[in-house]
Amino acid sequence: MSAPPVVAARSLGKIFAGGAGDAVEALREIDLEIDAGEFVSLIGPSGCGKSTLLRLIADLVAPTSGRLEVNGKDPHRARLDRDYGMVFQRATLLDWRTVARNVELPLEIMDAAGRQDRARHMLDLVQLGEFAGHYPWQLSGGMQQRVAIARALAFRPALLLMDEPFGALDEMTRELMQQELLRIWHETGTTVVFVTHSIPEAVFLSTTVVVMSSRPGRISDVIATGLSHPRNEDTRASQAYYDTITEVRTALRRHDGAAT
Amino acid sequence: MTDARRAPGAVPRSGMLRLPARTRRVLSFVGVLVTLVTAWEAYKLAGRTGVALPVSPDNVTMPHVWDMAGELFSPARRGGEVLVVLLAKAALFTLREALVGFLIGAVVGFGLGVLFVRSTLAERAFMPYVVASQTVPILAIAPMVVIWGGRIDIPQWLSVSIISAYLTFFPVTINTLRGLRSPDPTAMELMRSYAASPGEVLWKLQVPAALPYLFTALKVSASASIIGAIIGELPAGFRDGLGRALLSFSSAFAVQSAKLYATVIFTALVGILLVGTVTLVERLLAPAHREAA
Repeated sequence: MSAPPVVAARSLGKIFAGGAGDAVEALREIDLEIDAGEFVSLIGPSGCGKSTLLRLIADLVAPTSGRLEVNGKDPHRARLDRDYGMVFQRATLLDWRTVARNVELPLEIMDAAGRQDRARHMLDLVQLGEFAGHYPWQLSGGMQQRVAIARALAFRPALLLMDEPFGALDEMTRELMQQELLRIWHETGTTVVFVTHSIPEAVFLSTTVVVMSSRPGRISDVIATGLSHPRNEDTRASQAYYDTITEVRTALRRHDGAAT
Repeated sequence: MTDARRAPGAVPRSGMLRLPARTRRVLSFVGVLVTLVTAWEAYKLAGRTGVALPVSPDNVTMPHVWDMAGELFSPARRGGEVLVVLLAKAALFTLREALVGFLIGAVVGFGLGVLFVRSTLAERAFMPYVVASQTVPILAIAPMVVIWGGRIDIPQWLSVSIISAYLTFFPVTINTLRGLRSPDPTAMELMRSYAASPGEVLWKLQVPAALPYLFTALKVSASASIIGAIIGELPAGFRDGLGRALLSFSSAFAVQSAKLYATVIFTALVGILLVGTVTLVERLLAPAHREAA
């Protein structure tokens, strides 16, 4: 594709000012380009700044140095233009709203027309159509997270930012959710940036795995997974899958040696 | 609550047999009432045996329950109205002042909560005074409000309502503030990711999240507003409210204690009525909240 990259970072740095002068350098010299339609995972040890990088893209924190563009614009402009949808580790649904009304929330704020139809369509996409009238606390953790995905995609953003969205789920649910996410990714053509600390998860989902190292957070490797689509249980059993996992693991070890 | 997540309509495991919820509620209320009456009378009975008791159980200090009930249905003064009618009129009078005071206090209290959550500067500047206002005894404030109210020519009942509002707003402010700050930081970030305006964050996230806190405060305030109205009636010199009734019956305590007890019980009923109304409004307004009671 000849379109400009969805995310373009050049020499991006972030320093968090500490209390008594002890500033923390979270990110240093980040160069990254993410093209439309890609599924990119950010992986690395805790403290490597992968969540910070995602939050910089989302304009939830401001960079200290370097340049960052989202859809060819300043991230602040991109946020005001509602260019991305975000999914957090916790579903963060509003307790007092039904599932359907939770999905409608961004549409209400954006004053979009046909909210109810749109919400119903999104719930069908995450296969929760029959739970539209339920309240969040009546759903399991995995179902809640699917509602959060439906909500993030409700206003059709071209970019989906996910911060360890399956981190709190059990292994079985997690694998089902990964499968679901890939299906949605195929159906919607959304670009995804996905933060995780699970190597198999990153490899299974991504077209590209960005390996980061810590103190300060840097990008140490960019690994194209090269696995064929559609991905399924056969993918998880394939040699290419194992080889890629090994490649990512080796990259993580190489740069973070003794660090845990 | 451990079973807060149970689906609506699920059958609770324990509890009195399998009676409908409403019947169980009425039964437990009556049960406690019977227990209290029995304990009261048992204490009086124990006094007859000559055991030394901290409070003398004679009929003036502790009249029989049936004497109190009897007083309700006998004339308050020789040839006057039956006590219960007199008290009902007085209660209606006081309730009106309290209700207006409660509404003023609730609106002011909520408004201050919103102001403080929007502006830390305002919170820092005004909060000490808000707290200070509550440590000054209402007994000292009430006459001043009545006098000032008289100077600027507002109706006297409104002065009483203002005194009542004075007791009402504080719990509402504190709890509203806490409720508005209760949403998860992630939920605030979610709203930020939608580029929501401060007003949208307030009305779509913070206020709904604050409702359980707000209603808890309103229940506290509802009973406080009645106390405020009763106390306000005294310096205002109102003859028609519960304040006057309590005052005159307590001065006659030595001879007719049952009347004062009857009045106290009646005043309590007014409080229960107002708090009950708030609970009802809560059910109507916030039915989707997790059962917290």
